[in-house]
Amino acid sequence: MAAPTAKVSRGWSGLALGVRIAVLRLPGLTQVRWSRYGPEYQDPQIDKEYYRKPLAQLTEEETYERELRKTQVIKAAPATKTSSVFEDPVISKFTNMMMKGGNKILARSLMTQTLEAVKRKQFEKYHAASAEEQATVERNPYTIFHQALKNCEPVIGLVPILKGGHFYQVPVPLAERRRRFLAMKWMITECREKKPRRMLMPEKLSQELLEAFCNRGPVIKRKHDMHKMAEANRALAHYRWW
Amino acid sequence: MLKGMTRLVSRVHKNCVIFILEQCRGSCTYGCLPWKRETSWLDPGRFSHLGTQAPQCPVAHLDNQVPTERTRAISRTLENDPAKHGEQHVGQHYNISIQELKTVFPHGLPPRFVMQVKTFNEACLMVRKPALELLHYLKNTNFAHPAVRYVLYGEKGTGKTLSLCHIIHFCAKQDWLILHIPDAHLWVKNCRDLLQSTYNKQRFDQPLEASIWLKNFKTANERFLSQIKVQDKYVWNKRESTEKGSPLAEVVEQGIMRVRNATDAVGIVLKELKRQSSLGVFRLLVAVDGVNALWGRTTLKREDKSPITPEELALIYNLRKMVKNDWQGGAIVLTVSQTGSLFKPRKAYLPQELLGKEGFDTLDPFIPILVSNYNPKEFEGCIQYYLENNWLQHEKAHTEEGKKELLFLSNRNPGLLERLCAYL
Repeated sequence: MAAPTAKVSRGWSGLALGVRIAVLRLPGLTQVRWSRYGPEYQDPQIDKEYYRKPLAQLTEEETYERELRKTQVIKAAPATKTSSVFEDPVISKFTNMMMKGGNKILARSLMTQTLEAVKRKQFEKYHAASAEEQATVERNPYTIFHQALKNCEPVIGLVPILKGGHFYQVPVPLAERRRRFLAMKWMITECREKKPRRMLMPEKLSQELLEAFCNRGPVIKRKHDMHKMAEANRALAHYRWW
Repeated sequence: MLKGMTRLVSRVHKNCVIFILEQCRGSCTYGCLPWKRETSWLDPGRFSHLGTQAPQCPVAHLDNQVPTERTRAISRTLENDPAKHGEQHVGQHYNISIQELKTVFPHGLPPRFVMQVKTFNEACLMVRKPALELLHYLKNTNFAHPAVRYVLYGEKGTGKTLSLCHIIHFCAKQDWLILHIPDAHLWVKNCRDLLQSTYNKQRFDQPLEASIWLKNFKTANERFLSQIKVQDKYVWNKRESTEKGSPLAEVVEQGIMRVRNATDAVGIVLKELKRQSSLGVFRLLVAVDGVNALWGRTTLKREDKSPITPEELALIYNLRKMVKNDWQGGAIVLTVSQTGSLFKPRKAYLPQELLGKEGFDTLDPFIPILVSNYNPKEFEGCIQYYLENNWLQHEKAHTEEGKKELLFLSNRNPGLLERLCAYL
């Protein structure tokens, strides 16, 4: 559920938590990303199935949990989280990252047009393929999207560490969410900067997603470049103290 | 004709706003959907002014419509001839072969439908009540009487253009001559080259639009062009002229080759067809989509930046003569649409609002036919069609929950449902 993961996301790992706070307490640095909610606030339960369960079928723990929630304060559900069956957190996050200037309507429409473009391209390929190949052609835009982003995630990253007056790029294992963020960021930057002048974002993005799904393309190349740099700098790995 | 008037009155009173307001305000992100790549048709910000218009419980209206029996919906019918379509085929799709599509519809299909045909490799139209009603009228037309005007009207995305295409397909199968103007709005806006008309100095020519239309007209009606003979001599310029008694194909060729004379060629074609359809040699179907463009305003300007009224455009002037009911031997089927119209509010869909006083008085009397959202059976048929073509790829779209959500989000509007299912 959301509550335990929210606590983990505040620090990279158990060890790093103390270090992070030490870094933040440096003079001149203030914490900029915090929540107005105190620790006693619980995350809202969005899932419709949770509420549809008849009271007779609940186990003891579940009844206890329900009673407990009646006494707790709960945060407000964000406007972007819906109880729709078609909701996908990865798609929502990607849409938010594509958004510029708060124009969520435009970002969402670009996202839906991208999914439609991916679907239509795959259908074309399906109809052009022979009977044996048809089974291998993936037509679900959501599986393609998820697989493409997973393929773009780097395993190891580089972090600038200050030692002896110089910044060294030190290879470091990345947390799950940092990897997801990098994959999405690289995909969006690639599509924004390297597209031809009159090509629209959905078309370019659908092209890149399909290439990343097949483990080709510029975003995968960037991931491999990151891995190569990390491999090249592996002598500096002992600069990392966490 | 009085029957037509009472019909009109009764239809107008059935106007009701079907958007669900309370649930869609605030936290529903699915309220925002793209439409023509502008800010979306249903985005949350636009609901605030609709709040006061809620009619008697639209929510209850939806609940009553949930089908009680769970019989498997049939989405296709093997009956591919529109003449044989009846009440039992409502909600089912019939197939049009790709060859027929190329000859009957060189232009005129909505762009999203064309994309769907390309993706599925087949063209399937749904049989719906308004089209069946029109087919019934057309089958029982008396060709000795003046041409009857039928106007398809309805809210955005309800299927007016595709109903018109169904009618055109029927008439093409029955060997009528089809005069199809795919979108009259395209003739009153965004015209790069306006020439002063050679025939009449006060009017303007649109060579590009006219030549494109002539090309498509030729593709659709090849077999008639050699049979129909012109009854006047037409002089194009010092060197070229068309003699009396030569086939209409020559006029069309002249218009396509000499783009400067294309508008005049269109005018001649319309005049000849109107004159000769009364003789009974062929039956003429005049199908205009977006007929409210003929009486609205244009966005075109002269060199001195003064606006041009529609009657100063030669194409529009000749088309207006075509939709008058002073000829026999055919029918006139029209559509009024707000999409693409100029200077008309987004929510307007009734003929009176869209045609304006002048247009309504000219078209009066006509038979109005309301095209509304899908009924539950049609909705099920549509979803079934998409499932059969594997268009709905999302896992949850196959479940009951997914279907209920699609019903809620689209409100059974065909256009919206198509756009929703495109990315699911």
